[in-house]
Amino acid sequence: MKLHVYCLVEPVETLPTSLHGIAGVLVRQLDIGDFSFLVSDFPDRSVPVTRGNALAHAAVIQSVLRETTPLPFRFGTLVTAEQLENYVTAKREALKSRLEQVRGCIEMNVKIISDHKWTDVCPAIETQETPGTAFLSEKRREILGSEARAAEAKRVAEWLEGQVGEVVRQSDIKTNLTGRLLLAGAWLIERERVDQFRIKVAEARQQRPDLHFLLSGSWAPYSFANMDLEFKTHFGVS
Amino acid sequence: MTFSPENPHPAEPELEPDIETAHPEEFVEQLRCVVDSLPSRINIDAQSVEQGLAKLVLTLIEFIRRLLEKQAVRRMEGGDLSPEQIEELGLALMRLEAKLQELKTQFGLADEDLNLDLGPIGRLI
Amino acid sequence: MSFEQIIVSGSGDSLEEQELSLLETLDHVLNRGLVIAGEITISVADIDLIFVGLNVMLSSVETAQQVLRERQKKSE
Repeated sequence: MKLHVYCLVEPVETLPTSLHGIAGVLVRQLDIGDFSFLVSDFPDRSVPVTRGNALAHAAVIQSVLRETTPLPFRFGTLVTAEQLENYVTAKREALKSRLEQVRGCIEMNVKIISDHKWTDVCPAIETQETPGTAFLSEKRREILGSEARAAEAKRVAEWLEGQVGEVVRQSDIKTNLTGRLLLAGAWLIERERVDQFRIKVAEARQQRPDLHFLLSGSWAPYSFANMDLEFKTHFGVS
Repeated sequence: MTFSPENPHPAEPELEPDIETAHPEEFVEQLRCVVDSLPSRINIDAQSVEQGLAKLVLTLIEFIRRLLEKQAVRRMEGGDLSPEQIEELGLALMRLEAKLQELKTQFGLADEDLNLDLGPIGRLI
Repeated sequence: MSFEQIIVSGSGDSLEEQELSLLETLDHVLNRGLVIAGEITISVADIDLIFVGLNVMLSSVETAQQVLRERQKKSE
């Protein structure tokens, strides 16, 4: 019998009782070392990615968020109690540090869509081109377009960070997205300052009517849970 | 958040994640792309996946690393790099090699373990 | 669509707003959070090559096509 893990908390807080999670199974608390895990029994080897299961997972975490700030686990984490113990042994310090970092905070997200036509940066050449050259010309246009887009995404990210920076504790903005999504930002904000954050985003929105905003929250710190716990290395070769 | 029948405990309104946008259709379209490529079942089994994953990742990185070295050498020979740039590049590649060695050790992988059989195309490295 | 902000809180909303709520939730629980199975993020020249996706591919799964087909059937 495996355990589906929802989140990790410091054991000092009172957690909500009679929570139901994946497949309607009762969620229970598992204390290991200095941490408490919220888990539920799961009989199969893999978890179906259904609306119900995903929402159940999120709902458990959201219930905990009311009492304290947990570190959420990714949906579908199936482990044995022993594997959890190994995990705690290996990551104790990093997990403690993460919990401290997120204490008293929640996460807010902003996603931005831009409809700008990036390939207009380099208009198509009207002259007759042989297939190979035309192919490369088009490639060049695409590359220039995506470079322009990436540059703009970076500028918008920096601008947005400038707008909200003083009310957040930590930020994580992704600009290397596909489609019309220009950027997806996550911010770790102290609970008392969330209203200020919303106001700042509303103000930012007014400044850029050409951009389409989506603001969502409050979430548990999904985007800030795994930082420093992954093997992250930067190879600075350009 | 809407709740399915298996989860009969509706949450209180204050901390519910609410979503605010003037363009819901556009974001639905964009976010769908993110989610559409997902499989129907997830099994994140801590033991069974780690080794295979590490092998795959490190093999790819090793491949890239060798390409980068070749490219760096080519540029150096081409004479369009300043001595400072050559030095920086050399240092970065040295660090890269050392880091990769460290990762191999961490996962208990030997040099021979890192290779990908691409069938008719042959081996990657 | 006017400039009016639409607040989607998930109860008694249109199908679209419900879907947006679901998609945002999925984005969080499926793409972020703590991972036990050795996630490795390697960046080359500031581009994150995140390999957690491979975690999912390495397990036994149905193809994305089947999932899409099922979803289409459900919405009919």
